Amino acid sequence: MWRNVLTVMLRRLAADRAYSVITIGGLALGLAGCLLILGYIRYERSYDAWLPGHERVHQVQTTIHPPGQPDVRSQASSAALYDRLSIFPQVEAVTSVAVGKTVSDQNGRPEFIDATTVDRSFFEVFALPFAQGSAATALPDENSIVLTESEAVRRFGTAQALGKVLTTGAGEGKSGKRVSGVLRDLPRDTSLKVGIISLRDWNTMPPDARGWGAFDQHHYVKLRPGANAAALNAALPAWEKRVVFDTMGGALVSMADVLDFRLVPITQVHLGEAQDKAFAPGGDTRALATFGIVAMLTLGMAVMNFVNMTTARATRRAREVALRKVLGATRRQLILQFFAEGVFVAAAATLLAFALVEIATPWIGGILGADLPLAYLGERGMLWPALLLLAATAVAGALYPAFLLSRFKPARVLRANQSAVGTPGDGRLRAVLVVAQFAIAIGLIASTAVIWSQTRFVAQVDPGYRRDGLVQIDNAWRYTQGAEYEAARRAMLAIPGVTGLGRTGLPLGATEKPLRLMRRAGGGEGESMGLYGVDAEFMRTMGIELLAGRLLGDRVALDRVEGLAPAALSARGVNVVVNRSAAAEFGFRSPAAAVGQPVEIAFEGLDMVPARIVGVVEDTRFRTARDAIEPLVYTYDPTRTYIVMVRYAAARPGEVMAALERVWRRFEPELPFEARFADDVVRELYAADRARTLLFAGFSGLAILIACLGLYSLAAFTAERRTKEIGIRKVVGARVRDIVRLLAWQFAKPVVLANLVAWPVAWWAMRDWLNTFDVAVALTPGPFAVAGLLALAIATVTVAGHALRVARMNPIHALRYE
Amino acid sequence: MLHMRQLSRVYRTDTVETTALDAIDLDIHDGEFVAIMGPSGCGKSTLLNLMGMLDSPSSGSYVFNGQEVAGLSEARLAQVRKANIGFIFQSFNLVDELTVRENVELALLYHDAAASERKRRTDEVMDRVGIAHRARHRPSQLSGGQQQRVAVARALVASPKLILADEPTGNLDTNHGEEVMRMLQSLNAQGSTIVMVTHSPAHADYAGRVVNMLDGRILQERRRAA
Repeated sequence: MWRNVLTVMLRRLAADRAYSVITIGGLALGLAGCLLILGYIRYERSYDAWLPGHERVHQVQTTIHPPGQPDVRSQASSAALYDRLSIFPQVEAVTSVAVGKTVSDQNGRPEFIDATTVDRSFFEVFALPFAQGSAATALPDENSIVLTESEAVRRFGTAQALGKVLTTGAGEGKSGKRVSGVLRDLPRDTSLKVGIISLRDWNTMPPDARGWGAFDQHHYVKLRPGANAAALNAALPAWEKRVVFDTMGGALVSMADVLDFRLVPITQVHLGEAQDKAFAPGGDTRALATFGIVAMLTLGMAVMNFVNMTTARATRRAREVALRKVLGATRRQLILQFFAEGVFVAAAATLLAFALVEIATPWIGGILGADLPLAYLGERGMLWPALLLLAATAVAGALYPAFLLSRFKPARVLRANQSAVGTPGDGRLRAVLVVAQFAIAIGLIASTAVIWSQTRFVAQVDPGYRRDGLVQIDNAWRYTQGAEYEAARRAMLAIPGVTGLGRTGLPLGATEKPLRLMRRAGGGEGESMGLYGVDAEFMRTMGIELLAGRLLGDRVALDRVEGLAPAALSARGVNVVVNRSAAAEFGFRSPAAAVGQPVEIAFEGLDMVPARIVGVVEDTRFRTARDAIEPLVYTYDPTRTYIVMVRYAAARPGEVMAALERVWRRFEPELPFEARFADDVVRELYAADRARTLLFAGFSGLAILIACLGLYSLAAFTAERRTKEIGIRKVVGARVRDIVRLLAWQFAKPVVLANLVAWPVAWWAMRDWLNTFDVAVALTPGPFAVAGLLALAIATVTVAGHALRVARMNPIHALRYE
Repeated sequence: MLHMRQLSRVYRTDTVETTALDAIDLDIHDGEFVAIMGPSGCGKSTLLNLMGMLDSPSSGSYVFNGQEVAGLSEARLAQVRKANIGFIFQSFNLVDELTVRENVELALLYHDAAASERKRRTDEVMDRVGIAHRARHRPSQLSGGQQQRVAVARALVASPKLILADEPTGNLDTNHGEEVMRMLQSLNAQGSTIVMVTHSPAHADYAGRVVNMLDGRILQERRRAA
């Protein structure tokens, strides 16, 4: 019997090609979209899961409670933890990992390399795969390094690098390091950052760098087999109260109120809440959840199409159903038959979806910067998810039509001598599903429009400084703090077009927040604000407006911090410039009111240094539009700068950049020149946002396409069913345009209704999303109206073709046809 | 073979109640060829549907082969139907996607017959109605008469005790109509019991008994002189 069922189905699909293509194609698009997004979500959720023994490896994260500021959740933890974690019986090994940069010559040009410094337990905690050498023989001393195969190829031209010597560092720190191990390249889905790995000499570190306030490293622990991280986490608060102390004003104070430590499984680091000081950019669970919803909606639309098309066509199969019943088929057999047909169509769509996924995966991976896996079997294989989706699709899409189709009463169908009879209720369901489809499509279009305008808006929002004609030279700490800076500065200023040069510790797109405790002199608990070193030229170079008072300069000795130890600074005091927000935060009514006022700032640790506000400048946005404007305190302190900002005007950007590099090479031949235009820095800040917007827009387009496919075939079906009615209308005097209007309105109605569903939902979701930004576009009715009109226009065009064809038909033919 | 007593069928909608059959008494015996006649809407087809268990009576008794079938479940009715009854329709009701052979074989698919058995019986019945040479054609490639022969073959292939024909010649021209009638007559001669609804007095003359209906009731019955 199944052969017969298969024969009928295949011949039916072959005979009605448009229907088959739309049903299978639409479902395949929905499934492919869903599989792609699912693949991406699984990729993001399984970071570091490739690491052998990852179940026992945890990162020690810190929650910092800065007074007056929201908590900071950091992946870094206090250096002082290193010696102390091993007292917990659950801990088998502790390792400390710091990532910085070092420099090495590459074909005669200096180049930065990520330098990972670790302790001896590193390979005990992280069982990284060695291509040459082994964990036992790696890093015998501080002059040894371990690197990855691709790094070895880059440095030595071969992966066979064991025993070779790499010269790193600059100036006095320049030394040769022998390769004692070569690692296989790590997958991209890791929260670790591995450049060249070397040992850090724990003993030679100054006491300051080993205190509770030193957050320059990450700690990882490996728990003993069967040990429970939750038990350890539960024990930590009491332990912190006993152990975590620092000095303030010479007295011992507990820092347990300021710091909390917590063990987090390494597989949860990438998507975890703590993203401060992450080695690699973390994932965005919110974006993932959104993508998950979009994937389900897209598949949902495809399934709705499937149900609609099947139930619409069902009436055509009434005769077959009736006949099979007459010949003895039971309802169960018929349900099984039609369900099997649905499963077959879904299976065909799944095969097609696999092909689409194979084509699209590298492309989408490129947009998202992810090595999306393309495997059918294994842990990240898509076969099982696809089979689950197939089963869900079949149940959702084929079960109802199967029940509907098997319900036809043979006596009615055969007596009426009809090929097409309706089943009560299914028309209403179709209408509901069409409304749902268009509601989803309209919601996605409106959301895309809002996201798009916000993405454009944040790129153009006033940052409080002049962004055009500005170059940022990164990694310039030796340059800004060196003795030759004045000569270098004059050389750069001599470049045609260059009008200003300033040094800063606060770059555009800064990821670090050096918060310090501050308060008004003699007043209250105080709060944490950002403290940044700049030089006297910085404000003018950036074009930051002075609101009151004056800028810091060389004429007043108290303006300069440089060279003074905290104790001497405490005795002498210092002048500072603050921004508008900081002035308000200190409690001054206006910028002018803040000028001349004394405040206290903890430069190092918790010891307060007396300071005086000499000027107030405008607020600036150095980070993204998601971050709130920060209260900032600037000191004149070139020893706390590592960035050079260069202002130019009336010159070709490329030529200015080339000339800057020439000057750099003259004064800093050992370090690479890494400079970017301010516009590019800001563009990079929003690269992930733009990629997601693009993907979102892509899926909205897909959703519309699926909705239109469905509408197209439903319109065709309706036009066909109403041929007789239209014939009669024409005989009694209806014009072509009356008929077109009649049919077009039939399909416009659900679209209009869909708006009423889509608008509030999309509005609510977008308001929620815009709230994650510090500055956002106003949520106007514009995008919603545009989405509604667009959907209506697309629907009308889709339907109009059929309507026109049927309306132009000779009524005699139409009536005879039926 | 079948006995109907006080059999009624009432259709109800929200506002209207239509009595399609009104307390019918009818007996049909093995080997009979009965024609049912009457104007449109008199209840002929309703009677045939009840006879074929495609519909259930509102009241009354219907004994088929010694078994009361009024009130049986749909699944049970399907069992009785497929074991005993073959149908021929005015509009042939062939499945467009299937070939002639597959259409005929369709009736055996729900009988748990083995493939070889199905093939043998399908071949045999196609020979009998003279359609074997068209076995690989689709219904759309056949004339009306040929299509109805396929429908007859399908009705016969499961060897039913009773053949119900609802205006089997209604969609055929005179020649093809006669051809089908002769075929039914010969089947009856071979022992099949046939009940046929028809508008044509000429075709009714092929039957051994003619039942005339009007307004849901049997008006008169007459037997053809032997």
